[in-house]
Amino acid sequence: VYSWLRELVDVPDDPETVAREISLRGFEIAAIERGAEPVIDFEITANRPDCLSHLGLAREASAIWGVPLRAPGPARSDKSRHDSTENPELQVDLVDAELCPRYCAQLFDVRIAPSPSWLQARLTAAGVRPISNIVDVTNYVMLEIGQPMHAFDFERLAGRRLVIRRASQGERMRTLDGVDRTLDPEMLAIADADRASAIGGVMGGADSEIGRGTTIIALESAYFHPASIRRTSKRLGLKTEASTRFERGGDINAPAAGIARAAALFAQIGAGQPRGALIDRYPVPGATPSLRLRSSRIARLLGQAVPDDDVPRILERLGFGVTRSGSGADAGWTVQVPSFRVDVTREADLIEEVGRHYGFDRLPITFPSLRAAQSPPDPGIQRDRLLRQVLTASGFSESMTFAFIERDAALPFAEPGAPPVAIANPLSETFAVLRPSLLPGLLDSCAHNRRRGRKDVRLFEVGSRFTSAGEGRAAALAWSGSAADPHWSADGRSVDFFDVRGVVETVLRSFGVEAEVTAIDLPYLVRGRAADVRADGARIAIAGQLAPSLCAARGFPETEPLYVAEIDAERLGAANVGDALRAASLPRFPSIVRDISVLVDEALPAGSVRGTIRASAPATLVSIAEFDRYQGKGVPDGRVSLSLRLTFQASDRTLTDDEVQAATETIVSALRERHGAEQR
Amino acid sequence: VSHSEIDALRSQFTADLAQAAGEPALRAVRDRYLARKGGLLSALLKSLGSAPADERPRLGRLANELKQEIETALDERLATAARARPPAGSVDVTLPGRRPAIGHRHPLTLLRDRIEAIFSRMGFLVIEGPELEDDYHNFEALNMPPEHPARDMQDTLYLAQPVRSSAGSPATLLRTHTSGMQIRYMESHTPPVRLIAPGRVYRRDNLDLTHTPMFTQVEGLVVGEDVTLADLKGTLFTFLRELFGQDRQVRFRPSFFPYTEPSAEVDISCGGCGGTGRVAPKLGTGQTTSEGGRVAPKLGTGQTTSEGGCAMCKRTGWIEILGSGMVHPAVFEAVGYDPERYTGFAFGMGIERVALLKWGVEDIRLFYENDLRFLEQFPL
Repeated sequence: VYSWLRELVDVPDDPETVAREISLRGFEIAAIERGAEPVIDFEITANRPDCLSHLGLAREASAIWGVPLRAPGPARSDKSRHDSTENPELQVDLVDAELCPRYCAQLFDVRIAPSPSWLQARLTAAGVRPISNIVDVTNYVMLEIGQPMHAFDFERLAGRRLVIRRASQGERMRTLDGVDRTLDPEMLAIADADRASAIGGVMGGADSEIGRGTTIIALESAYFHPASIRRTSKRLGLKTEASTRFERGGDINAPAAGIARAAALFAQIGAGQPRGALIDRYPVPGATPSLRLRSSRIARLLGQAVPDDDVPRILERLGFGVTRSGSGADAGWTVQVPSFRVDVTREADLIEEVGRHYGFDRLPITFPSLRAAQSPPDPGIQRDRLLRQVLTASGFSESMTFAFIERDAALPFAEPGAPPVAIANPLSETFAVLRPSLLPGLLDSCAHNRRRGRKDVRLFEVGSRFTSAGEGRAAALAWSGSAADPHWSADGRSVDFFDVRGVVETVLRSFGVEAEVTAIDLPYLVRGRAADVRADGARIAIAGQLAPSLCAARGFPETEPLYVAEIDAERLGAANVGDALRAASLPRFPSIVRDISVLVDEALPAGSVRGTIRASAPATLVSIAEFDRYQGKGVPDGRVSLSLRLTFQASDRTLTDDEVQAATETIVSALRERHGAEQR
Repeated sequence: VSHSEIDALRSQFTADLAQAAGEPALRAVRDRYLARKGGLLSALLKSLGSAPADERPRLGRLANELKQEIETALDERLATAARARPPAGSVDVTLPGRRPAIGHRHPLTLLRDRIEAIFSRMGFLVIEGPELEDDYHNFEALNMPPEHPARDMQDTLYLAQPVRSSAGSPATLLRTHTSGMQIRYMESHTPPVRLIAPGRVYRRDNLDLTHTPMFTQVEGLVVGEDVTLADLKGTLFTFLRELFGQDRQVRFRPSFFPYTEPSAEVDISCGGCGGTGRVAPKLGTGQTTSEGGRVAPKLGTGQTTSEGGCAMCKRTGWIEILGSGMVHPAVFEAVGYDPERYTGFAFGMGIERVALLKWGVEDIRLFYENDLRFLEQFPL
């Protein structure tokens, strides 16, 4: 609230300017409300709980404009107060000083009534609903100096005691929001003689809530252990203004000041007056930390020296105590860190303070020197880049899909006996498990395109998948519709198995991988149209037609074939296959070509025919190419005619016809013996 | 037959010839005048016999002259037409060609390649790391011990049971940033360090126009004996101007990250309004970049007006683009570097956000739907 800020420090008479200047010191503007009572909403980063208050921002403003700070209310005391710490009417037992290092309380005689309108207006502007004079004052003090407080109805505290202890396992209490909560020993309870009356630093209890009939309050103002507050707040799913401040770190010297400020406000608005002294439990007072700040180190980190006069000027306005010390390379300052600056624990933190207020824009622009040659590039990145190049060159566009998917979408692709890796806290069932394969994501992308009228889809993805072996890298592709882009000169052909197998072969070839292809049964591929691609005896890829039932389940028409392949990228090896290459000299002698056609059983894989030829041929057979596969007129039922082109060549001489003829006959007779093949 | 009839036939022919376009029409004209049977000129010549004897030689000469004229004119026009005729085996080159099928890189890959190229040129190594991480590398080593409030800035997805990551270590969570890889690199290498680590990261964010639970990050790290905040400024200044255009302003604003101290957010001047915060002169033309013109995404009009100002930058004239800072001494201590001897800077950005700004994409989800109508807008 702009007017509130101006009460604490003389800032310029323009909220926009004030907002902008403060934002350039590290406090982003979330919103500015203009009007009669301007309000600037800053986003306060997690390290600056002190700025969750007008006083904190006023301190920043004081450093920006070099103007003095007017601390609110009675003079703030940073000294721990050890005098007058008892009141016979109220007994305060600080049992757990670990979770609550400091606890202050004081009794007040009060008259509950609505707050005066100026106070209500300020709270309303700050987004807090006015309730009653007592509650409003505690909120006011929190917004002003950052210290949360809580008022108990004193007469509803059994035994007139406050016991600060860990909750017992399963202890129950109802909080102010009317919810019954179950506590555990990790949580701090503020209890009376019988039971928990508040969850320390988080929320008060309904049983001791103040109301119209309250005449005496016990006002609590304490410092709680940040990690404990955070744990409690998370475990209960209960985040409050108080817990937000305490979990980031309160000011251990603020509790007494908070009560003093509240007392002054009670008196000012006629809400009540103290009943007995302030009780202050602070068994192990902390020392004010002091840090070294070297002038040379500022220059070393920021890249430019900051004038020596600017350093104390900036830090003192921010509340640090600064004394010059050291000499030579060590010259600098000794800096006392105020207790509200919980974020400042090292020299670098002080340098940030100096840099922030000196201005990052005043630092020069330089470039880091390069003193050593860079390491060789990451092979995985090079591999993935080559994969992308080959696949885009093969006509596939790159897709990206989420690494977590629905369990039902993942299950068909999971290895038998290895359920997909589950996420413990998924956002929704849509993102329940890590994908065991890239194919479910591609299927969904194909279905998405198909629903929008696109029939011809070629997509690939290179990404991580998660199998029983752990995190791995894969490339997958999916192809539906035409085998080629439609053209006026010819009718299109639909994609088939050999299109997708060809792409896999191209990928493997670009990595110099030799593979063998055999038929396989996989639950997610159509039986008879599924291939296992193996290199060095282990699977490197699969290819085939995706099961129509899976397609239908994800909204892709089951009547339209969708061909897919998935390649284990990690088994492809490195992309720099050319590094080990020795160029072969070109053949100097002509080659001789022989075409043979054989009739074989239709169930016999062509791969076996090829294998037999390879095994029975001399080394001069340099290539085998299938050029026809025919069934129909002239071929008996159950048989198939297979035509192959054999190329013979020797590197040291011209082959003779006789030689080649003999080799061909050997091959044909081997085919006859092994497979009952007849030459046509 | 008279002199005037011959003249009339000549002017009729001249008109017919002028009208005739193309070979078939020219041949029709030839037939009409020169055909042996029924041709107009043939008929004229035939009728000469009935002319008075003394007129006959003169009229005959005139008629033959006309015939000559007609033949010459037609031959000339037919020859010209023949020259214009496509030669045998010619094709209609205006029909579409068969394009070799070629796919498009994903826009995020396009951008990532571009970013990697810029940093590689500046001497940065590009490394990738596991997407599954352990708490130590994702948080603790980065000065975020358990219960650190800054952990709230990155809501984390955890695994139901530990899984082996691609780094070979047991992982318990999906990494929330690629910083874990920087820790791993520093654990196994001594300074100087100069690298970027691009990759996918995960946060427990709901899908909306600007958030996805998985997104792509590029983080950078430079460590040496004399690395300063001024060097950070210079590096990012160079990078951002190369990526977004030399006319952009760059601003460093103090901020907070647990792993850097001091920390700074980096803003670039808004491309929608030219950094003025006021509404852009023309809708949809705000995205002028150094690559302007190559892609013309029609997905968004770039910005709409709100309260008479630029909606892209919410009237501030600036757009937040990355987070950065000087490496926190606690991070150096965690990896065994001496924080007195070494200084360094780190930075990080989400590529999706950069892509939204650079190309005027209105909905971040488009990057993960893989609609070919979207993907095919981007250059190959």
